[in-house]
Amino acid sequence: MTRETLEVDVLIVGAGPAGLSAALRLAQLQPPHGGEPLSIAVLEKAREAGAHSLSGAVLDPSALRELIPDFRERGAPIATDVHADHVYFLTQHSRIELPIIPPPLRNHGNYIVSLNQFVRWLAEQVEAQGIDFFTGFTGHDVLMEGERVLGVRTGDRGLGRHGEQKPTFEPGVDITAKVTIFCDGVRGNLTKELLRRLPLGEGRGPQQFAVGVKELWDIPPGRVGAGTVMHTLGYPLAQSEFGGAFIYAMSDRHLSLGFVVGLDYSDPQFDPHMAFNRFKQHPFMSELLRDGQMVRYGAKAMPEGGWNTIPRTYMDGGLIAGDAGGFLNSMRLKGIHLAMRTGMLAAEAAFEAIRAGDTSAASLKRYQDKIDASPVRAELYPVRNVHQAFGHGLWAGLAFSGVAVVTKGWWPTDLGGEAGHTRMHRLSSGKGSESVAEPASNATTVDRRLTFDKLTNVYYSGTAHDEDQPSHLLVQTEVCSTICGPEYGHPCVRFCPANVYEIARDPDGTPRLQINASNCVHCKTCDIMDPYGVITWVPPEGGGGPQYNGM
Amino acid sequence: MILVVAEQRDGRLNRATWETIAAAQALSADGLPVKIVVLGASVGAAAEELAAAGVGDVVSVEHATLGAYTPDAFTLATRQVIESLTPTFVLLPHTYQTRDFAPMLAARMRKSLITDVTGISGTGAAAAFTRPMFQGKLAAEVRPHGEPPFLVSIQIGAYRSDAVRKGNAASVTPMSVDIDASAIRQAPEAPFQEARQAVDLSQAERIVSVGRGIKSQDNIAIAETLAKAMGAEIAASRPICDNGWLPMERQIGSSGQTVAPKLYVALGISGAIQHLVGMKGSRTIVAINKDADAPIFEVADYGIVGDLFEIVPAIVKELEKRG
Repeated sequence: MTRETLEVDVLIVGAGPAGLSAALRLAQLQPPHGGEPLSIAVLEKAREAGAHSLSGAVLDPSALRELIPDFRERGAPIATDVHADHVYFLTQHSRIELPIIPPPLRNHGNYIVSLNQFVRWLAEQVEAQGIDFFTGFTGHDVLMEGERVLGVRTGDRGLGRHGEQKPTFEPGVDITAKVTIFCDGVRGNLTKELLRRLPLGEGRGPQQFAVGVKELWDIPPGRVGAGTVMHTLGYPLAQSEFGGAFIYAMSDRHLSLGFVVGLDYSDPQFDPHMAFNRFKQHPFMSELLRDGQMVRYGAKAMPEGGWNTIPRTYMDGGLIAGDAGGFLNSMRLKGIHLAMRTGMLAAEAAFEAIRAGDTSAASLKRYQDKIDASPVRAELYPVRNVHQAFGHGLWAGLAFSGVAVVTKGWWPTDLGGEAGHTRMHRLSSGKGSESVAEPASNATTVDRRLTFDKLTNVYYSGTAHDEDQPSHLLVQTEVCSTICGPEYGHPCVRFCPANVYEIARDPDGTPRLQINASNCVHCKTCDIMDPYGVITWVPPEGGGGPQYNGM
Repeated sequence: MILVVAEQRDGRLNRATWETIAAAQALSADGLPVKIVVLGASVGAAAEELAAAGVGDVVSVEHATLGAYTPDAFTLATRQVIESLTPTFVLLPHTYQTRDFAPMLAARMRKSLITDVTGISGTGAAAAFTRPMFQGKLAAEVRPHGEPPFLVSIQIGAYRSDAVRKGNAASVTPMSVDIDASAIRQAPEAPFQEARQAVDLSQAERIVSVGRGIKSQDNIAIAETLAKAMGAEIAASRPICDNGWLPMERQIGSSGQTVAPKLYVALGISGAIQHLVGMKGSRTIVAINKDADAPIFEVADYGIVGDLFEIVPAIVKELEKRG
C-alpha cells in the first residue's frame, strides 16, 4: 500500500477556537519577520470548520480583541452583548434568585455567541490568509520517533464495517511537521495518545470533566430580553452532583439552553440527558419554553479540572492547546478565550522555535513560559482548587469558591482530585440513587414537545456517518455480558447522550452490547465516564459527525 | 419549452423518469411545451415507449460512448442537446446518475441547478421550486436567477408516475451529438458484484419494512412471506441492518434510502424521526405495532395496535386465499 506523505512546517490538528487562532497568529507573524513563509496545514475532522463546535456560549472577548482588533468591522457573528445576569437556585417547584451575582459569573462586557458560527467566521479569516485547510480529515494516529512527535497520520477512508477495503478505499496520509500543535479538543484522541506515550501527566492531578447537553429553542417573544444570561444550581441534581443549567437569550425569541453535569457523579443510574429533561419540566423552564420549538440539539464534554490537571503541553516537536490541554475556567464556565489565547501562544512558540532551528522540548518550553506570563495563568491559578472542592459537594464547593475569590486563591495546600469515573458506586453499595431525578428509562416521560428521547434529539444534532464503516467506539474488554450488568447496570446506556449504547438481549436473555456508532455526536463522554475504562473513542471516517448549525 | 432528460438502462425507462414528466406537466400547465430527450447507445425502444405515451415530442440521442454511463459523456451530450434545443427548464430525475453528472453540467454551462425538488408552485417563468433543507426538517422555496435554461432535479416519489397525462402518440426525432472519445476521462468497467446485487428500493411500488419488533433474525422470514404474498420488496429500519439481519442497502431512513412507494407496511417499527424522514412520502402507510403510543402511528394511514406475529400470518392467509 502506498501512503501519501505531506511535509509542512507547522501542522495544526483541529479547526476549533484554539487551532484557528494558532493558524491566524502564525499568518500574522510571517510578514513582520520576513524570510521564507512557513507552510501551515490545518486538519479538521468535520466536513466544515465549526460543524462539531458546541458551547453555551458566552464569549470573553479579551483574546479575540488581541487577535483580530477590528473583529466587529470584520463581521464577527456576535448574537448580542450580555445585558443582564441572573443566578437561581432551583428546588423542585420553585426558584430562589441569588441576591448578588458571584463575581466569576458577571458577564458585563461579554458577548453571547453561537460557537458554531463564530468558528466558521474564524475559519474564513484564516482561509483569507491562504492557509491550507484539510476539512473532513481526521487525525488518527500520532507519528513518533522515540519521544519526538513527527506529525499525524490521517484516518483511512473507505473501510467497510468489518475493516475490509471498499472500492472507495483511500489510505490515510502521513503529514509530517517541524511542530505539530494538537488542538483536538476535549479528550482529544491524539492528545490522549500523547499522554499515554509520553510522561506529560507526571506530577499533575487526574483530568476531570463534565458533560453538557444543549438545545436551541425558538420561543414566542416577550418572555426574556435579548442578552439575558441565566444560570441555575440545584434541582434536579443532588447536593453531591456537580452541575447546573445555562439559559442564554441570543435574542428575545432564540434561546440557547443546556445542562452541565460533572462526570464524577456516583450513581450509576444517573442519566445527564434525563436530568436535562427534568430541568425543562421545572415550572420555571416549562413556562419559558411553552409553545416554543426545539430546533437543535447537541452534547459535548468539557475539561473542568483546571490548572493543576493541565498536562505538560510541550514536547519534542509538539504542543497542546485549548480544551485538549484542559484550558477552561470552570468557575467562569468559559474556555473559548483560553483556547484562543493558548492557540496564539502556541503559534508564537512554534514560530520562534522553527526560526531558531530548534523544535526540541527544551526550545518549545517557551510555550509554557508564555502561558505563565499571560492572562491564562493569572486567571486559572487562583481558582485551581475550586473544582476539586466541589468534589466534596455543592455547599463545600460554593463555600470554597467564595474563599478563593477573597484570598485570590491562597490555600494552605492544593486539593487533590480523582478521575471522575472512579467515583461511580456499584449497585451493590446500597448507595443507589440520591438524585432528585430518580432514574427512569428514556422513553417513559418524554412528550416530544418539551422533552425528547435521545434518538429524536440526535436527529436534531444533524449527525450523520457513513453506516458502512468500522465502529469508532472500541470496547477493548467485553464486560457487558458478564460483570457490568450486576456491578453497574450498564451505565453507558445512560451517560451517552446520543443513544449510541444499547443493551440488547439474546434469546437466552444474555445482555449484549449494541453500539449504534452512527448516532455518535463526538462528545467523548463514554471515553471518560465508563467505570471500567474500556471504551476508547477513535475518530470515524472524516466528515462524519454532528452538524451543529447555530449551536 | 421544458426539456425532460429521461433515464433508461438496457432500453427500459425507470419510474423516476415518468415522475419527472409528471413534474414537467405541473410546471408547464399547458403553457410551455414539453420535450423529452433520451440518451444512450441504443434507445429506440425507450424512445418509442415515450412517444407512444404522447406526453411530448421525443428526441433520441444515440452515440456509442453513451452505452455505459460516464459523467463526461453524459455531460457533453446533454449540454449539446440543451444548447441546440434552448429550453427554459431542464428537468432531471434526482437519481444517482443525475446526482453524479448534473452538477458538472450546470457548472460547465454556468447555469442554476435546483436539486431534489419536491414541489413546484406557479408555472412557467414565475415558478418557485420547493426543496428540502436540514435533512428534510425545513423546506425552502427557490427561484432560479440569471438566464435560462434552469436545471432542476425532481426528488423520487415527489410526483406520481401514474399522474402523467397521456395524449396522442408523438414523434421521435433523432439528434446527433459530437463526442470526442478522448474527452472522456472515465473508463467504466462492468458493474461489479455489489452493484448488481444492490436493490434500488426507491423504485419499488410496495415495501414491507421490519423494525426491532421482529425480535430475531429467524422471524425475518415472517415478513418475507408477507412481502412475497404482496409482491413487495423487503426493507428495514436501522437496528435490523445494524444487526446484520438484512443487508444495509435495505435500510430506510436518514442514513439509508428514501422511498415513496404506493404502499409501505411497517412491521414492529416504532417510528423514530430518522426512519420517518425516509418513508413519510409513501402514498399509503400501514403500521403494525404493539405500542399504541409509537410515533409511527402519527404518520400511518392505517394502524393496527397488536402483535405482528398474529396479524401478519392472518394477512398472508387472506392474500393467499385471493390467489
